[in-house]
Amino acid sequence: MSTAVADREVALVDLVDRLLGGGVVIAGDITLSVADVDLVYVSLRALISSVATAQEKQLLPRMGEAW
Amino acid sequence: MIRLIAITDDASMPPAPLHAVGCGRLTAICAPVDEHSGGADSLWRHEELVESLMETRDLLPVRFGTQLADDEAVAQAVGARGGQLAQRLELVRGAVELALRVDERGAAEPPLTGAATGTEYMQLQADRVRNGRMIHDELAALARETTMLPGPELLRAAYLVERSNVDAFVARVRKLQEANPELVLICTGPWPPYSFADEERA
Repeated sequence: MSTAVADREVALVDLVDRLLGGGVVIAGDITLSVADVDLVYVSLRALISSVATAQEKQLLPRMGEAW
Repeated sequence: MIRLIAITDDASMPPAPLHAVGCGRLTAICAPVDEHSGGADSLWRHEELVESLMETRDLLPVRFGTQLADDEAVAQAVGARGGQLAQRLELVRGAVELALRVDERGAAEPPLTGAATGTEYMQLQADRVRNGRMIHDELAALARETTMLPGPELLRAAYLVERSNVDAFVARVRKLQEANPELVLICTGPWPPYSFADEERA
């Protein structure tokens, strides 16, 4: 996602959905530490206000420019 | 330990410090362990890596945080599921994933506060479901495959869209947003096909 910082905040929910919930699951060590998860969820809590602001301003993240 | 990043059938060498591990017909792309892992930044770093690989090859992204002992362990683990993964690779070939979240404007407020009676509540609830369904159906017509994701919104979904169809998809999202000002549509991407890479999810 080669997008601006604000767009990244909006997209963080989608990023977490995909990296932590999607992808091929291979039998191996998943080494996401508790600290990592905590940090991700702290970021998500911080995101709530950002999304509300983006919604008020009717901003849509730009698409199709990541290539 | 090494990190397993993606699975492809393109045998070209990835740029250092990545390396390729042959797994029969498939190739696994691996990376050194990320010493600075932690938080959203490491997720974005990982994402940028997968996106850069995806510019020149079709691939299945591997779940973030997957680490194996060495090349041999990678070849064994990927080889054991080779047939299934090759099928998945065909499904996503030439396509990217687009993410969509749809909610009512001001959804941070307690939902359905306008309902005075149980009947009105039921009616509003039915409208909510219908709105999400309508948006999904319109966009699904432009997608090769779709999947619903869990979330608190009216609709949280992923769409596998051919690269040549991405512009049309984005235009349809904009049109739906204009036609439904009471809703907020948040569409992001293109993403690697995370939500279509494994049967467990798709």
